Amino acid sequence: MASSSGNDDDLTIPRAAINKMIKETLPNVRVANDARELVVNCCTEFIHLISSEANEICNKSDKKTISPEHVINALESLGFASYITEVKDVLQECKTVALKRRKASSRLENLGIPEEELLRQQQELFAKARQQQAELAQQEWLQVQQAAQQAQMAAASASAAQQAGSSQDEDEEDDL
Amino acid sequence: NANKIKRTPDAKKSISLPVSRVRLIMKSSPDVSSINQDALFLTTKATELFVQHLALSSFNNGSGKDSNTLEYSDLAKTTEENETFHFLTDILPKKILARDYLKTLEQMQEEEEEADL
Repeated sequence: MASSSGNDDDLTIPRAAINKMIKETLPNVRVANDARELVVNCCTEFIHLISSEANEICNKSDKKTISPEHVINALESLGFASYITEVKDVLQECKTVALKRRKASSRLENLGIPEEELLRQQQELFAKARQQQAELAQQEWLQVQQAAQQAQMAAASASAAQQAGSSQDEDEEDDL
Repeated sequence: NANKIKRTPDAKKSISLPVSRVRLIMKSSPDVSSINQDALFLTTKATELFVQHLALSSFNNGSGKDSNTLEYSDLAKTTEENETFHFLTDILPKKILARDYLKTLEQMQEEEEEADL
């Protein structure tokens, strides 16, 4: 597949994610490969469409950042009003999660452990863990070295013993 | 960034498309500057709904219903027939057979010649 223009145009939603969605929407239906590819590209096109429209709406307002309201208005004006109810549910969920997070962090603060302190403690733990790792690695290395030395010594004494008793062995072999 | 405390992902239960990718695509649109995080989630959700909408509409209105297959032509057909999907026309060149194309070309030429007479 040849890409037309710059890198930005090659940005698409991952095929696997699209396949999964199609499968959930049309279970037990076979989908042609070129149809799948097309859906992937349609998604990109849709995102551009919504972004551009929302951006225009945003520019007309006095805001600099595209807000959920701008997106919702964009959906409306582009004929996707039927999506708005479900999309608003997600917005509600976002707000609930954000609220929970704020409560959670204030609870932490009530314990007397503000975020900066937690960060510091985390860094400390990391540093400790790193040190322990290093010490462990060093110990292991020493053990390996010792083992190697012992093996060497054992080998050396074994060959020395062999040399000492070698004449005896030769006599024995002749007898076989 | 190793310095940030990892947070649990939010509002991800009802969204299956990768939000980060959607963000990249949005940013590649000309003139789009900054997007509020919630607006990003909304756009992602809308895109999911779009996929479902497109797939269902194409399947139900297309010939694929008999063969239980969703074909490229089903998508092309629904794009043509559904005004909200007209924005897809440019990326959806109708696939035609070479011989059909040549036939159409011949017909056009004949019509031109007749007009000249």
